[in-house]
Amino acid sequence: MNEPVLLTDTDDATVRGAADLLDSWAVEVRQDRELAAAIEEVPGARTIVTTTENPNALRDIVERARARSIPVIVGCATDMARRRAIELRVDEWFLLPATADEIAGRVRSALARMAPAAAALADRIERVEYEQMLYDYLTGLPTLPVMIERSRALIKERGELIVLYFNFVRYSKIEEIYGWEKLDAVLETTAQSVREFLEASALRSSRVMVSFTNDDDFVFFHVPAPGVAAITDAEITELVGKLQDHVGRRIEATHGEEIASLFEIYAGRAHVYYNPKIRLQRLIYRGIREAANAAKSVEERERARRVDDLKRSLRERAVYIDLHPILVTDSRQVYGYEALARGTLRTLRSPEIMFDVAAEADLLWELGRLCRSKAIEAMSSRLTRGEFLFLNVDPHDFADPQFSQIDREVTDPSRVVIEITERTAIKDYPKFRERLKALRERGYRFAVDDAGSGYAGLGSIANLEPDFIKLDISLINCIDTNFIKQNLVETMVRFANDQGAQVIAEGVERAEEYETVKGLGVHLVQGFFLHRPSENAIARTSGEMPAIARVAGA
Amino acid sequence: MPPPSLSNPIEDHRMPEAHLPNVLVVDDNHDNADIMRQYLEAKGYQVSVAYSGEEALSLFETVRPSIVLLDVMMPGRDGWEVCRLMKQHPSHGRGVRVIMVTALDQWEDKRQALQTGADDYVTKPVDLPRLVQTVERNAAALAGAL
Repeated sequence: MNEPVLLTDTDDATVRGAADLLDSWAVEVRQDRELAAAIEEVPGARTIVTTTENPNALRDIVERARARSIPVIVGCATDMARRRAIELRVDEWFLLPATADEIAGRVRSALARMAPAAAALADRIERVEYEQMLYDYLTGLPTLPVMIERSRALIKERGELIVLYFNFVRYSKIEEIYGWEKLDAVLETTAQSVREFLEASALRSSRVMVSFTNDDDFVFFHVPAPGVAAITDAEITELVGKLQDHVGRRIEATHGEEIASLFEIYAGRAHVYYNPKIRLQRLIYRGIREAANAAKSVEERERARRVDDLKRSLRERAVYIDLHPILVTDSRQVYGYEALARGTLRTLRSPEIMFDVAAEADLLWELGRLCRSKAIEAMSSRLTRGEFLFLNVDPHDFADPQFSQIDREVTDPSRVVIEITERTAIKDYPKFRERLKALRERGYRFAVDDAGSGYAGLGSIANLEPDFIKLDISLINCIDTNFIKQNLVETMVRFANDQGAQVIAEGVERAEEYETVKGLGVHLVQGFFLHRPSENAIARTSGEMPAIARVAGA
Repeated sequence: MPPPSLSNPIEDHRMPEAHLPNVLVVDDNHDNADIMRQYLEAKGYQVSVAYSGEEALSLFETVRPSIVLLDVMMPGRDGWEVCRLMKQHPSHGRGVRVIMVTALDQWEDKRQALQTGADDYVTKPVDLPRLVQTVERNAAALAGAL
């Protein structure tokens, strides 16, 4: 092995100093015109440092050096020299005068870049991409082709394979509501807890492999151990029940009950027998399809049961209202409450699920009426004077001929804020605005919910002339470390101030998030960091009395 | 003389300036990239430069920058795609802050930047003092996360 040599046309102490810093490299000095030739002549030439002003000499050096994958580092005395160096795509350049430290640094970073020789660059990128295809980057689980290759021999030997297909049905909802970062985090928790569970389960003794085909399903391959009976449907049902509990608990502990309430698994099973005449991949894919269909039919049965549950709930008015406080950001005094309607039946606890079921069964108006009337009841029985009730109303509800009856129940419309979500596409805009106008004239106020959830800018919000703008949860999640979110929220606050509206940040879960939105001038806040939704309004202590009441009482 | 120990040149190099994060500047326009590099270096940052998305991904692996300044409009792999790939990198996707450098300053563009996982953005033409401020606040966010 030749001792490494730094080839240069600059015989001075700085370059020698740099060579020393590089673990005592040798230095060979040549005239700039001879440097190109020296690349081939000097054994061990590892890098070139030149300060030549001669463009032809530099071009020669770069060409020869490139052919041998030796980096060229150029010291530039003028701007002209710098431009030339960049045009020639030299590996590194620095401005003169420079220190030995800097030159040594340039040499090191050029070498690091070269380390996987130029041709390997494409390979590296491809490798990164392949790795992403082979292993899911969130869960670290192998993907299907990897798993098939790995277990090919085992399946042949044992002659059979059981495919379990688990579908996590509401996961797309999480992304829709909370943003992809949240879904990523939930998927990670899920994969981790599924693995944990399986390691402790009876399936561990036989071979179980886990794969991940999409963003909301897992496939398990269970190759029964010799002499052990294959898992039965009854056992699977039991397993799924336990798995659901286990994962559900973990998700609740890590991400809160709102997200846990969206969590559901459906599982299906298929038995695959090895057949040498048929390609193994095909057998397995068929097995997966069969298992997925089985899971689907479980899901459909479950859905039908839910529709029955909903009909019963409507008959028995089995819906209750949780109140989620909305506070004035600076003073943290209660400004109002958002009414969250929940089904009394366990299967309909999550409002998301309850409304989904209603949409499927075409019972949205009926459910909307019940929830509104319960919320208004809660307003008169649980809220104090001066507190606002934030009421979620789906744009479809406005078309309900009975909607106007809301007046019969509401005694003071000026204390009711109707929340309209930005997510639902409004079909007939002029008619919709007309309805809003009529309600506004009677004293109701409006909030645009989930503002900023889509790509649409502020125009669509301005159209509705809201009194309140509720920011989409995904904009608040981790806003303290994301400056783009901060900028978007800042823009929204400025816009709201111009329009005479107030901005509400919901989903404030951490102190840092609260401090950040406060700093950005957000008017009102709501979230677990401040209060959880509960059946009762917050008992007023003297410290929490609104300013007006305090003055009146003084 | 013993053979040189160059097995981990980057680590060696980073040590004297460990307090300031490594920055990777990505821009297909060499002049832009080099101006940003010079300016950041004058502020004491250790800067690497990539002139394409492909090169950026390769340098991302070798240099392991803590902060990436990423031009959006590049031929081949554009900034959005590079950002996504970096953020999804199995071992150091978590620890990197990606700042998009873009001429687009509309609501939709920022929404898209969020979607790819970007942490911050600066608008073109780049205002250099502003750029340094942006890098500084992301460096602070990194320090806070440790």
